[in-house]
Amino acid sequence: MRTLTISQAMNEALHEEMRRDPAVYVVGLGLYPSDGDDATSGLVDEFGERRVRSAPNDEALIAGSAVGAALVGMRPVAEFYLADFAFNALDEILSKAGKWRYMHGSNAGMKLPIVFLQGIGGYVGAAAEHSQSPLALYWHSPGLKIVAPSTSYDAKGLLKTAVRDDNPVMFFIHKFEDSGPVPEDEYLIPFGVAEIRRDGADATVVATSYMVTLALQAAENLADRGVDVEVIDPRTLEPLDIDTIVGSVQKTGRLVVVDEDTERCGVAAEIGAQVLERDFAALRAPVGRVANPNLPVPYSPPLEEAVLPSVAKIEAAILATLA
Amino acid sequence: MAPTPTGQLELYTLMVRSRAFEEAAIALAAAGDIPGSWLSGVGQEGTLGAISQLRPDDYLTYTHRGSYGFIGRGSDPKRLMAELLGKRTGYSKGKGGRHIADLEHGILGKSGTIGAHAPLAIGAATAVQIRGGDQVVMSLFGEGTSNRGTTHSSLVAASVWRLPVVWLCENNGYMGSVPARAYTAVTDIADMAASYGMPGTVVDGNDVSAVHQAAEDAIDRARAGQGPSLLELKTFRMRAFGESWPELRDPAEIAAWQERDPILLYQRQLTASDRLTVADVEAIRAAAHAEMAAAAEFARESPFPDPAEAFEDLYA
Ligand SMILES: Cc1ncc(C[n+]2csc(CCOP(=O)(O)OP(=O)(O)O)c2C)c(N)n1
Repeated sequence: MRTLTISQAMNEALHEEMRRDPAVYVVGLGLYPSDGDDATSGLVDEFGERRVRSAPNDEALIAGSAVGAALVGMRPVAEFYLADFAFNALDEILSKAGKWRYMHGSNAGMKLPIVFLQGIGGYVGAAAEHSQSPLALYWHSPGLKIVAPSTSYDAKGLLKTAVRDDNPVMFFIHKFEDSGPVPEDEYLIPFGVAEIRRDGADATVVATSYMVTLALQAAENLADRGVDVEVIDPRTLEPLDIDTIVGSVQKTGRLVVVDEDTERCGVAAEIGAQVLERDFAALRAPVGRVANPNLPVPYSPPLEEAVLPSVAKIEAAILATLA
Repeated sequence: MAPTPTGQLELYTLMVRSRAFEEAAIALAAAGDIPGSWLSGVGQEGTLGAISQLRPDDYLTYTHRGSYGFIGRGSDPKRLMAELLGKRTGYSKGKGGRHIADLEHGILGKSGTIGAHAPLAIGAATAVQIRGGDQVVMSLFGEGTSNRGTTHSSLVAASVWRLPVVWLCENNGYMGSVPARAYTAVTDIADMAASYGMPGTVVDGNDVSAVHQAAEDAIDRARAGQGPSLLELKTFRMRAFGESWPELRDPAEIAAWQERDPILLYQRQLTASDRLTVADVEAIRAAAHAEMAAAAEFARESPFPDPAEAFEDLYA
């Protein structure tokens, strides 16, 4: 099977969905002229400047216009480039996209089919305002769906599902892009179905996006030392496949959650709490959290390494649950 | 072009019905029947000169203030009033209060944040343009809201993308009780239009005929694909910022504007040209008050939502 980067896989998904449905269009920054290899490359050449709109640089405008277009029957894909920049559109994302349908009592069957595309993540020396992974912020707020694929295969199938979903979807792609096999034939991946990336009996690690890559590396390293780690990639946080996670913890008795974002009120806290509520007795050790210790992401490599999750930190957290 | 004689009577009737809705809502607020608040539009009904010209398939984004946007588009006063009272029969099933959408009449909804409607209007106009339609999007904002960044970037986008938007700034001179000189660097918001590369026109917002004329030009322009325009309607809000807010503005100024009540001015124009008789005025007013009294009654008698309904409507 051919190998594609996550961006190439997403690019295919966007081409396919825009061909399939004339209501799909893309709005964002720097969408043309096409340059090389990102998720939106080539779209303008096939679909023209009306359906591939390079916007004035205001993320609030980009996001709010997506909401307005969705309200009258379009299916916008809003491209923010980086999640850090989308903070400029928080009112539009959290309060318009997320709450408009509810606040208006789903008037006349109101729908908000929008995909908000954005890059996340550190490890590239980009400092505090170009390195954030704010999944928890959006998960905290009602009305959004949250997708964070870790493979090219998932990125394509989940993006196609996101475009067809009748709700606003926050779609996060890590700067550290995976490459992997992607079939030629069309496929979709449903939201809310976790993937068990590695089977194991001794401890469960939950991770999304690039954290899956780190967790798998940690699991390989520990396998050499006789520790058998299961790695679960929920793929979507909202909806969350908590059943698969709890089922795994019932088998292993140990849970470590890895999240690149700040730890406080974070993804690991939420998943840990849900597991505790569902089956407290299944846990044989405290839940481990590997996340940013509530600091802005620093620039210099040794500082960045001190703050962000790493293979070594994940290994240590797993071993702590087994101690 | 001035409205036809029938059109003039219809426009006058819309203004009176809108005022009657306001008065009924004010009474409900005073009686403590509105759990939240009502931000009255009394005095700004001249804007109906613009709104009333939209086609049924056009779109409207509205401000936080008043009922005339809904009345002008043909929304059901019963469901509007029921929503203000938090009832299940309201437009938002009791989830929005004064936050109401009426998509069947092209009203996209009401934001809790000022300035958020402008990007929504850009989105609706984008949809029209992509589909190759000739609908128009009319988007209202107050002069206070003109300072939000979203207003700025939306005016840029409307112009750059040559979108069919009619921007209507209702300049009522105050943001809350703060006078415009404290937060606006220009006397005329319409002056800003030049920097966006679109025509800007100052209009007497209380002269509904003048509003009608100016809006007709702007709507024609947008429909013909010639791009956006900005109209600034100089007007005045006759009530305090909201029904539960104190009135801190100068009583003499309020009294002076009372003389320029847009309904009164239009009534004078129409009676002077024999389009309207005293008997017509009375009949229209009586019918409007009966209609809005019935709407208030419907709202009062409607059931509250069941608590379980709080869990509905989040996702499609
Ligand atoms: C983003 C945001 N900031 C502040 C408010 C509070 N607020 C509600 S209405 C209003 C005044 C708006 O003034 P203007 O646009 O002139 O409209 P007017 O009330 O005069 O009709 C303010 C500040 C808000 N709703 N949203």
